[in-house]
Amino acid sequence: MKIVIIGNGPAAVAAAEAARELDGHCGITMISKEAVPFYSPCPLAEYVEASVPRDHLFLRDEKFYRDQDITTFFGHPATAIGTTARRVTVGSGSDAAELPYERLLIASGARAIMPPIPGLAGTPGVFALKTLADADGIVARLPAARRAVVIGSGFIGLEAAQALVRRGLAVTVVEALSQVLPQMLDAEMAALVETRLRDHGVDVRVNSPAEAVLGGQAGVSAVRVGGQEIPCDLVVCAVGVRPDLSLLAGSGISTATGILVNEFMETNQPDVYAAGDIVEGFDRQGQRRVLPIWPNAVNGGRIAGGNMVAARTRSFRGLDGINVVRIFDLPVASFGSSAGERSLRYAGNGILKKLSLSSGRVVGAQFFGDVNATGLYHELMNKGVDVGSFESELLSPGFGYGCLIPRPPLPTRLAA
Amino acid sequence: MDKAIFTFIDRCVACKGCEIACAVEHSRAKSLFGALAESPHPRPRVRVENAGVHSYPARCMHCEDAACIAACPMGAMTRNAATNAVYVDESKCIGCWMCVMVCPFGSVSADPVAKKAFKCDRCPDRTARGEDPACVAACPTRAMIYATPEELAAHRRQATAMNAAGKPVARVAGNVDLWRSLKGGTQK
Repeated sequence: MKIVIIGNGPAAVAAAEAARELDGHCGITMISKEAVPFYSPCPLAEYVEASVPRDHLFLRDEKFYRDQDITTFFGHPATAIGTTARRVTVGSGSDAAELPYERLLIASGARAIMPPIPGLAGTPGVFALKTLADADGIVARLPAARRAVVIGSGFIGLEAAQALVRRGLAVTVVEALSQVLPQMLDAEMAALVETRLRDHGVDVRVNSPAEAVLGGQAGVSAVRVGGQEIPCDLVVCAVGVRPDLSLLAGSGISTATGILVNEFMETNQPDVYAAGDIVEGFDRQGQRRVLPIWPNAVNGGRIAGGNMVAARTRSFRGLDGINVVRIFDLPVASFGSSAGERSLRYAGNGILKKLSLSSGRVVGAQFFGDVNATGLYHELMNKGVDVGSFESELLSPGFGYGCLIPRPPLPTRLAA
Repeated sequence: MDKAIFTFIDRCVACKGCEIACAVEHSRAKSLFGALAESPHPRPRVRVENAGVHSYPARCMHCEDAACIAACPMGAMTRNAATNAVYVDESKCIGCWMCVMVCPFGSVSADPVAKKAFKCDRCPDRTARGEDPACVAACPTRAMIYATPEELAAHRRQATAMNAAGKPVARVAGNVDLWRSLKGGTQK
């Protein structure tokens, strides 16, 4: 069996490990445009902040690939997929190589969205924060930078803002919409986040779409917002990520926003699987979603890896849509919808918790300041548990798994 | 199979002895008076929760297919190869709280002071010495036992058989009186 995996992130590595565990002899080849071993992109902001050393980003070393008998093409991007000939092209021109596959996994991830703002592309000092190369670029520019503008206030943008503040820069966050974390929080919760950001010195500007990035070959000098120029030496563009489908031209693999997969992580093409940030799968409620978070990548990768060795032996229970971010050490989390029929609320000690309920079921949650037991509430939503009988306890500090245990019958003596 | 902690929910009387024993075991001093002097106070990784007419000592289940391990983007959530217990490698944890988001039991919490994920590690020092985890050893009503599933099943079968034969039941290994648990009361 010849397995080819495009990508070297969590989904790709989880798949390779799952396949190797099931089959000690199958051929596994991994292709990645990045030249480094598997690293975690999640702590890149902490790396910029210097609270996580660079070597902690790497979750596998070169020895791992040798030990697992994985052939690697790192630093060589896959450039085409031939689903009829069952080949992947690596590299281009005279360096191009054709790799035949019997099973193919596409786990090449997402790319940072770079909106068509004049001057954004090509001006030195403008970075995304998606890859290790982006983070290295930001770190290299820090000594010369005093002021930064972060475009976008999703969780990457806010993590970047926080890291740059802690590295001593004056930071402005510009957000086109009317609140920060627009995908994650409602306006009330977002206002708490904005206050906390301002308390820590971040200049937060909502309703402020970036109009132009100014500067020249010497580097970025300002970002224009609402006709006003915000001077800066560094720009981080964090307006989101999108599945990178550039590789799929002519492959016949069906896509919408991402590669469409079923619960087995199969695409529409035979023996071609996809997992990780590039897929558009089903969430637990059966809706088609693109949900590029780490747990979905690892779980999807394991399913794909298992199924590549033994078809349809594993199926995905569904993508999770969960968000957690720390705003200057204060945790903020959400999942599901904030538009339930009713909302339960707990406020106190700087903590605000809201649960949305519909038809006696949890349909969403937003927590500010305390995220403990979020997983339990998420499970209540996923399982569709009727919370009517313990609704009043749901947001009390004593709520826990014990509250869900069905009342056992009182002990009765067994007949002697 | 490996040993796990089993709970007899009808025997928990919410004395919270397990919470104290857990905090002491995870203190630097490993003694109650020493632990009280430490700052911050060591905190328990087991929590006695209200469970209807009963109470329940809630803690990590050390799931076979642990969501927290899959969710950890730092490789910090780890399974102990010797005991199969899931624990946090604090040198790798960055406190991103993804494990807190995915634990279906709410058993991983965010330690706001250390900024590390916080959960039951099933007392690796104690079990390596052949002792029960601190919560199990401290429970005065034996509401928790540390045994393999096979041991648990065998003991319960034996207790049921002895009961049917009208014979008194010997205390089983580990001094666990499963008879009392099955009967739900004292034996005549």
